Amino acid sequence: MAGDVKRIPDSEQEKYDSDEQVKIICLGDSAVGKSKLMERFLMDGYRPQQLSTYALTLYKYNTTINGKPVLVDFWDTAGQERFQSMHPSYYHKAHACVMVFDVQRKITYKNLSSWYKELREYRPEIPCLVVANKIDADMRVTQKSFNFAKKQGLPFYFVSAADGTNVVKVFKDAINMALSYKKNSSDFMDVVMRELENFDLEAKEDSGGDDEEEEEEEEEEEGKAA
Amino acid sequence: MPIIAKQCGIKFDPPSVVLIYENEHTNKLRKRVMPVRSFSQFSDCSRAAETKHHPRHGRYLDSVSLEQLVRLHTVLRDHLRGLSVEASLREQHRAQAHEEDLNKLGDEELNRCKAQMDVLFEVNRRHKDDPDFVYDLEVEFPENSVRETCSWDQSDEEF
Repeated sequence: MAGDVKRIPDSEQEKYDSDEQVKIICLGDSAVGKSKLMERFLMDGYRPQQLSTYALTLYKYNTTINGKPVLVDFWDTAGQERFQSMHPSYYHKAHACVMVFDVQRKITYKNLSSWYKELREYRPEIPCLVVANKIDADMRVTQKSFNFAKKQGLPFYFVSAADGTNVVKVFKDAINMALSYKKNSSDFMDVVMRELENFDLEAKEDSGGDDEEEEEEEEEEEGKAA
Repeated sequence: MPIIAKQCGIKFDPPSVVLIYENEHTNKLRKRVMPVRSFSQFSDCSRAAETKHHPRHGRYLDSVSLEQLVRLHTVLRDHLRGLSVEASLREQHRAQAHEEDLNKLGDEELNRCKAQMDVLFEVNRRHKDDPDFVYDLEVEFPENSVRETCSWDQSDEEF
């Protein structure tokens, strides 16, 4: 668990249940260029919101998909990845994940498997895109195949936040995948969560933050076993 | 025969590991040349481990670290690839830096690393005011059958 990073209140995340809002999270090691990618995608239009209490940065992005306005919240880590683990609330209600590594540093590629494992503990079904960043540093890497994505059946992108190669494509694809996931979600956990949220669980209200967390993890376990 | 390793190096032709050691009983300095058999520019340098556990040579290399042997084998291999000793060592040093886990650094060190990375970022950066700037720059990297498997996938643990 991520150090003393606070849990984000559930009430803050209820908005992601509405049809017009999606939550997309970024994952990956320190200094792989997650924020640089965000900034390249949003250009001048970005309004990052630093939530230092939660060690995360939020980028809001308004777009129109199929004639409908969509508000996208991109969640970026702000140092929390240093714990090699994110707080469960980071994953909560996420609709897609952009997972980044640095083609210049092998360890960031090797660590994908632990990021992916953690992602799947909380979000077993959401679309996940694998991004090989910094290809401008050595274009020869684009001649190579990186098996992680293929093995997990995930879409893979060669990108460069510096020269802009495929950055916009990644985020556009992520938004589309997030929306279609949300529309067709057969994710067992989503269904369970929806059911649970219909109950006014007194026990949940009484218990402190930590207990709530444990409860949530247990539910996840059940979800996986079913 | 107790062996005190003094120096360990390599010889290019034929590819060999050379050990200068002292025989503790006789106090004599000896040189042992251990050819690295069927070694090519495509060899995996973790083969150094094989030399270390070689039935005849192994005991001479007891006190030589595996890291040093891997380093020496890499110089041998890079020589077969046409790299000089200096270039090989430089490459190895760079590769080692790439192994570093930046997740483990404190704020100050991490920021220093990021600042170093920013140098290249700024060099390669396309600004939106550049005449040839394209916001949605899509480049296809077609996956053909001859695509080389990244060496990062070959080593140790599987995903």
